[in-house]
Amino acid sequence: MSNLIGTISRQVDSVIEHAKEKYADQMWMFDVQKASWDAVYHAHDEGKRLIYVGACAPVELIYAFDCVPFVLDMIPTRLASTPEVAARYIDLAEKYIAPTMCGIDKVDIGAILSGDMPDKPDAFIYSTVPCDNSRVAYPFICDRLGCPSYCIDVPFRKNEMGFDYMARQYKEIIVFLEKLTGKKLDWDKFQEIMTISNQTNDLMNKIADLRRITPCPLPGRLLVLNEMIPGMVGHPAMLSYLEAQYAIGQDAVAKGLGAVKEEKYRVSWLQNMLWSNVGILDWMERKFGAVLVMDAFGYQRGHVFRDIDDLDTICVDFAKKGLALPMIHGASGPVEDYIDLVENTMGDYNVSVSMFIGHVGCKHTWAAAKIITDMIQEKFGLPTLYLDVDAVDGRYKKTDEIRALITEYMETIEENK
Amino acid sequence: MSTETLFEKAELRNSSVKAWKEQGKKIIGTVCCHVPEEILHAAGAMPYRLRATGVTDLSEGDTWMSTFTCSYARGTLQYLIDGTFDFMDGVISSDGCLMAGRIFDNWKYVDGNAEKKEFYLKQIAAPRMNNENAVRYYRDYLDQMRTELGAYMGVEITDEKIRASVALYNETRRLIRALYDLSKSDAPVVSGTERLKLILAASSMPKEEYNEMLKDFLARAGSRAPIKNYRARIMLVGSALDDPEYIKVIEDKGGLVVTDALCFGTRYLWEPVELEGGDVLTSIAASYLKRPVCPRMVDLHDEFGDLIVNFCQDFKVDGIIYERVKYCEIWGGEGLYFGEHKGMKEADVPLILLEREEIMTNIGQLAVRAEAFIEMIEK
Ligand code: SF4
Ligand code: SF4
Repeated sequence: MSNLIGTISRQVDSVIEHAKEKYADQMWMFDVQKASWDAVYHAHDEGKRLIYVGACAPVELIYAFDCVPFVLDMIPTRLASTPEVAARYIDLAEKYIAPTMCGIDKVDIGAILSGDMPDKPDAFIYSTVPCDNSRVAYPFICDRLGCPSYCIDVPFRKNEMGFDYMARQYKEIIVFLEKLTGKKLDWDKFQEIMTISNQTNDLMNKIADLRRITPCPLPGRLLVLNEMIPGMVGHPAMLSYLEAQYAIGQDAVAKGLGAVKEEKYRVSWLQNMLWSNVGILDWMERKFGAVLVMDAFGYQRGHVFRDIDDLDTICVDFAKKGLALPMIHGASGPVEDYIDLVENTMGDYNVSVSMFIGHVGCKHTWAAAKIITDMIQEKFGLPTLYLDVDAVDGRYKKTDEIRALITEYMETIEENK
Repeated sequence: MSTETLFEKAELRNSSVKAWKEQGKKIIGTVCCHVPEEILHAAGAMPYRLRATGVTDLSEGDTWMSTFTCSYARGTLQYLIDGTFDFMDGVISSDGCLMAGRIFDNWKYVDGNAEKKEFYLKQIAAPRMNNENAVRYYRDYLDQMRTELGAYMGVEITDEKIRASVALYNETRRLIRALYDLSKSDAPVVSGTERLKLILAASSMPKEEYNEMLKDFLARAGSRAPIKNYRARIMLVGSALDDPEYIKVIEDKGGLVVTDALCFGTRYLWEPVELEGGDVLTSIAASYLKRPVCPRMVDLHDEFGDLIVNFCQDFKVDGIIYERVKYCEIWGGEGLYFGEHKGMKEADVPLILLEREEIMTNIGQLAVRAEAFIEMIEK
């Protein structure tokens, strides 16, 4: 398969063709995906610089320099739904790295090694988070890409020292981008983008608040799509997507409707999203009336830019925003961050079923699972289902097996009601 | 002083630990290589690098960390929980890797340890890049540690004290390098198994005492029987290796381990801390960050490769054993970098990858694979 991005972009197009008739009222969900993949696929044709990014990259700044950011981890999370394609890259990567590594990084590495990635990006801005896996993968990818790069060293703790440390690096990124593009930062444009970014974050918070309502007005699946937000924050298409989602959510609340006819259980997943089997969410809703109201991966409480005129504050806010991103907010620092994240999720969303759907590649979250689930038991009186899965490599556990284990657990809960 | 006495110090609960505690003095456990022991020493504490050597039961480690994690980390936690390390007065960790970080995290939640005021707990952050900005950030954490540890120990950790500790530690580093130098000869007088014990001793006893003992050992090394009957000269690289038995299996098959790039090896105390005229903590931070100590540093992979190439030349290495603890991702991807490193490609030293677990349940398999590799590379 050559030109992986082109292939995904075409896949999105054909899904849209199909959806146009069947789900005409849901096109807002597809439009944002199209905007995302098309921008990357056509970046060079449109004379724009393409910048691959890892976690914490300042997406708004990249847009302000008229470049196209592309979150490399979008590839694994996207390909996970087609196990045979993901497997190709995973198997390739495993020739060089430990098979126990996270599937996200295995697919990233495999895609780079395969030569299936199209044009060389113009730059790569990555970071030292979220985990040991990415710390292995990203510098290697950087070497392989051989393009100008900047690596943000993301601090372990989310405190003033850490914010300052990162802020100093964001200032360097401005210089990096100026050098790359040969242009000075266009403040007017940057402020415009920061304004959209703030509106986006504001909506994201409002949507998250809607999900607190019983019955939860929005399905679990949208949490998966919402994971795209940080990579496109500041882009008008993302804002439109969230406006549509918010309107639908509000409408459902006004009518007293939930994502399922009869909401019986409010579920939280405590680790990653199961990208290799997102259909499990729909199935849980249908079979048990169990809605994923919030998950510890997708939990996003976006920081906003407090003062879009002051560079110092902006850079600190970039740091805060970066440290609040999925995987980094809970899992990349001391365990207290993870505890707080889960405690907020459990409390704010009135969760009644707790599940540790544990991606096996994510060892550091497994290594904190007892602390987390003990806390849930103690503070919320809920036991937790432990289920080992591979969030990216669908071969690890078949759908039937996952369903059987969840069914068994849900039946126990029903019995003990 | 007999050689046995020094080797005894490699034991977890060795005689120096007992003597130190009998004097009513404090021992602080450290996790990973980014906690500068010099500062603990300057505070009057004995730094002791936590490890899992000889662990046979991982039940507590498994319960707290699950089995999807590095068994060295689980083993270390196991020892903290089961009382093997009951002589510790505190633990200082850095965020070396996420597994090491979880040793610290879990220990805090066992029996409410975090609330026990008499037990000192601190986790500092160590950057993953080596540049001026990172040095500044790391330095500020060291300063925080200096203040807090000083308060716990009831002493002021002055610059003078730290400078004196750096001088002492630099002497340890010099002696350890001299120990490794012994293995550059064609007939070394120290085996890899013995050398690991000597490094473990360094990490588990007061450095004043260690320096004297190692000096004495080196002075008398000439009278040790040279090792001539080996088949190949091996370098070990990879995950934390704190078990001399592992090396013994390789050496029993004729592979003499002459050097390593291990964090319980050359990467522990090697490059001197360079004290420049200015701020002492900045000097320590800068010296610690620039060491190619483990692949956790994202911008030192090239330096790590260079170090391996240089060691291969200096120690006349025939083959490299790259050992990787299962679930150790920090080391799990290093093969990628080895494959890309210009110097390593040119040197073309044969390399074998061996996965391992902290509990050596499969000695037979290790012996077979090591022997096959030795057969392949022996000259
Ligand atoms: S899922 Fe876990 S292991 Fe994988 S990239 Fe994210 S934080 Fe790292
Ligand atoms: S062996 Fe690897 S995973 Fe384990 S503590 Fe060391 S670097 Fe971390």
